[in-house]
Amino acid sequence: MADVSQETFALSPEQPGNWLDDGYERLFQLSWRDYQDVQLAVLKRRFEELSTSVAALEKLVKREGVTSVNSFEDALPLLFDHRVYKSYPLSLIEKRDFPKLTGWLNRLTTHDLGAMDLAGLTTIEEWLDRLDAFGMLIGHSTGTTGKLSFLPRSGTERRSWQMAYQEASRAATGIDSRSDTVETFFPGYRGGHHMMLKMLWLFDVPAAGGPEHFHTLYPTHVPADLSSLAGRMQSAEDRGELAKLGLDPALLKAREEMIAQAKRRDQDVEAWFFKLFEQFRGKRVKIGGTFSDLIRTARSGIEKGLKPEFAPGSFISTGGGMKGFKDAPEDWEGYIKDYFGIEKLGMVYGMSEGMPNHPRCSQKNFHILPQTIPFLFDRDMKLLPREGVQTGRLAIFDLLAETYWGGFISGDQVTIDWEENCGCGWKGPTVGPVISRFAEMEGGDDKISCAGTAQAYNDFMDFVSQGLAPS
Amino acid sequence: MTNTYRIPIIARGRIIEPGEDVVEYQGRGGATFLTPDPHKHVHDLVLGNPVLLQDLQQTPTRDIIDFLAEAGKRLHIDDNPYLQESFALALRAGGLAEPILRGVYEDLPLLFDPDAMFAQIDSTIGVDYLDGWVPSPTGPHCRVRAVGTRQLHITAGNVPVVAALTIVRGALTKSDILIKSPSNDPLTANAIMRTLLELDAGHPVCKHIAVAYWKGGDEFMDSQIVRTSRIDKITAWGGMSSVKHIQKFLTPGIDLTALNPKFSMSVIGKEALESEAAMDEAATGLAVIAGFYNQTACVNTRLVYVESETDDASLDKLAELGRKVVAAFQRLPETLSTPAKAANADLEAELEAVALEDDFYTVEGNTVTGGVVVSRFPDRVDFYDQLNNRVVNIVPVADLLDVVKWCDDTTQTVGIYPERLRDHLLDAFALAGVQRLVPLQGGDPMQIYRDIHAMPPGMPHDGIEPLRRNVRWVIDHRPLTEAVPLSIAAE
Repeated sequence: MADVSQETFALSPEQPGNWLDDGYERLFQLSWRDYQDVQLAVLKRRFEELSTSVAALEKLVKREGVTSVNSFEDALPLLFDHRVYKSYPLSLIEKRDFPKLTGWLNRLTTHDLGAMDLAGLTTIEEWLDRLDAFGMLIGHSTGTTGKLSFLPRSGTERRSWQMAYQEASRAATGIDSRSDTVETFFPGYRGGHHMMLKMLWLFDVPAAGGPEHFHTLYPTHVPADLSSLAGRMQSAEDRGELAKLGLDPALLKAREEMIAQAKRRDQDVEAWFFKLFEQFRGKRVKIGGTFSDLIRTARSGIEKGLKPEFAPGSFISTGGGMKGFKDAPEDWEGYIKDYFGIEKLGMVYGMSEGMPNHPRCSQKNFHILPQTIPFLFDRDMKLLPREGVQTGRLAIFDLLAETYWGGFISGDQVTIDWEENCGCGWKGPTVGPVISRFAEMEGGDDKISCAGTAQAYNDFMDFVSQGLAPS
Repeated sequence: MTNTYRIPIIARGRIIEPGEDVVEYQGRGGATFLTPDPHKHVHDLVLGNPVLLQDLQQTPTRDIIDFLAEAGKRLHIDDNPYLQESFALALRAGGLAEPILRGVYEDLPLLFDPDAMFAQIDSTIGVDYLDGWVPSPTGPHCRVRAVGTRQLHITAGNVPVVAALTIVRGALTKSDILIKSPSNDPLTANAIMRTLLELDAGHPVCKHIAVAYWKGGDEFMDSQIVRTSRIDKITAWGGMSSVKHIQKFLTPGIDLTALNPKFSMSVIGKEALESEAAMDEAATGLAVIAGFYNQTACVNTRLVYVESETDDASLDKLAELGRKVVAAFQRLPETLSTPAKAANADLEAELEAVALEDDFYTVEGNTVTGGVVVSRFPDRVDFYDQLNNRVVNIVPVADLLDVVKWCDDTTQTVGIYPERLRDHLLDAFALAGVQRLVPLQGGDPMQIYRDIHAMPPGMPHDGIEPLRRNVRWVIDHRPLTEAVPLSIAAE
């Protein structure tokens, strides 16, 4: 058990979901080296509970020959790759084979989805709604690579997830969303089961004071069916066989609207922001969205001579990297703050596959909360030492995951400083500000081969998902 | 091991070594390439004045073939230091294992066989049309000649044969060619050309071949070279990206032959599941067509459609076929196929992920030994376009004619077993985009490999005839009264 240096406070391995009950502050006073035994104890318990109740994990455990977890190293062969969350055959979605799709998902969770009523389902959206009604909280990815992953979160995790989300936001912005609601702008879609949008709906809508105070660019979202089938629909359309897919006509219509919408998006974002600038002049607001949305808006606002004026105490809450955005100003942060006339910009680092977000401190480092055990791997998937400053591919165990396996290897390349010397005063391992995709590419990118094994290109999703939601 | 390779520019008979204008490229496998700055040698690479092709045009095809054949005798890796160097670099930068690459290099002289070269050019273009003006049999006042052009070849490097093939085809079409070498095989074309230059740097063939390396997507190079005043034809092998870059500069007047990346498959009839002997024969055929050159070529099968139901008993048989294919990979001669040098991390992750799904997939083997994913329902895996490292996906389909829905212009070669299926599938497959159907029968790996490759000279390539496309067909249309008698014209 932990050799606890804080006399007044120690983490209990029993309920990691309660660690934030008295706020994030005390967690950031603890050194990770002091609580790693507690983390290991939780991990050990999760392994014992889940390795026999989550079928996919059970199979992996057998394959890797893992019999017990007595050290972090024991559990490292059990990290799920993102592909595990989308290992179903795409044709199940195409045919809307809900029993098989549910059977697939059932192997990833402790909940018995076999008991769920599937009668009357015709779309993936409805299936996800039904799962929510059953007590799940499934979030899916953007599907930019053509296939959605489904993360099998559930109501069991909701409380600890919400707490982690709210506390990370409070740490990053200084605003407690539970007691201090504020009008919120988010320049994207509304609702739905996309993980990011789902989180906004679960946590940011209440933080805004209700749906009427949560202003989105569009009144709806891209149906999961559409994100998922974009590639198949495109090739069917090319063959003039879109009708043969037997899809709901409403879905086909939605697709056309989405394509049109995506083409207008830049103008829409501007028009929408500028309208809100007027409507909320002098009021206190929170602005969300990706950097690229904010930069684009600022650029065109400056061009048009439009300048927002919000009340003091307004703040920006952002994330999502510079994906797909070229020639950003070097000091993009100052640029955005200047334009919006807002001093406070809060940021968190997180990924769909892990519940805890990690707030950025005054020194611009992201501090990892103890509910997450981070690891870095090198290119050859060798574990990097958990000391000094290391750059590698990030893997995590999310200790808040109770009904599904929280071990995950991400595609993010990050730099972690394990030494806890951050000038902000918070402890915990820190992730530096430069976060990139872990690329397998090496040297001359003009390797030419006659074999057609490159990933297919997906114009539609490129249009639709462009900067709409950080994944 | 040498880390730095000097890659001179071959500029129509001259060798330009990297000197003061040297630039450095980071290559694959940690190698560094030093080459003269291609930006400063654009004029050495292109032929601004097409009339300067006259010397080659006036060289009889026989002379060209004799010269190439003589060079072919010197293209033996054992005593050719240029080839030895390019072999060492291709081994590092490319994807082929040593014994296979050695086999490919040892076969290079075959491409320079005089009879094969003659047959190739005579059956595609016709030597008469290259060497002179040929009157139309039905209207002898019109004569036609196949005239050489100025060509840019953006070559593929996964199999070094492409470099040799490009040089031979360029010379045989009496054309002026510029070869842009790929980063995964930066030296083979170079080595062959240096061998030719040693033989006779003043030969018209040598005067019309340039070879250089620059980084793909170098807009300066593309904008300088891809102009109607400098290039007539482009042959682009490989990736979309290489074609897309070039497309920006294409204008009417420049003819692009895009040898797109291809994707090949096999179809297996139900007989293969009906007896042990048939299953062994099919498995060996599949292992050869999927495994030769370690699945780096476009001809290699990646998907296998098997005539089968999807009940448990049938799926068990498919799994058995899968195991036999993996076992057959291990038995292939090492000049054909070897275990991978290293695992393919992405593909391995895909295999591991679907292996957790008993309901849908059965996985045998891995990305080092070779492997098989058996779909337990009639659809290919969603990561089918990543199948490499001798990994194939076996897919049950009730009616093999349904396979046409997965065929398109990228479906190059289809392996067939047993032959009974051929006539049943041939026409539908041809219309759906398939470019070649080959046999898999026999059970002897080397013989199957030879059967797959044994074609008469001058057969179409990827559904087109590149040699015919790469010459300009010019008409000499005379007054009717001046019709030249056939006998004279044929001289």
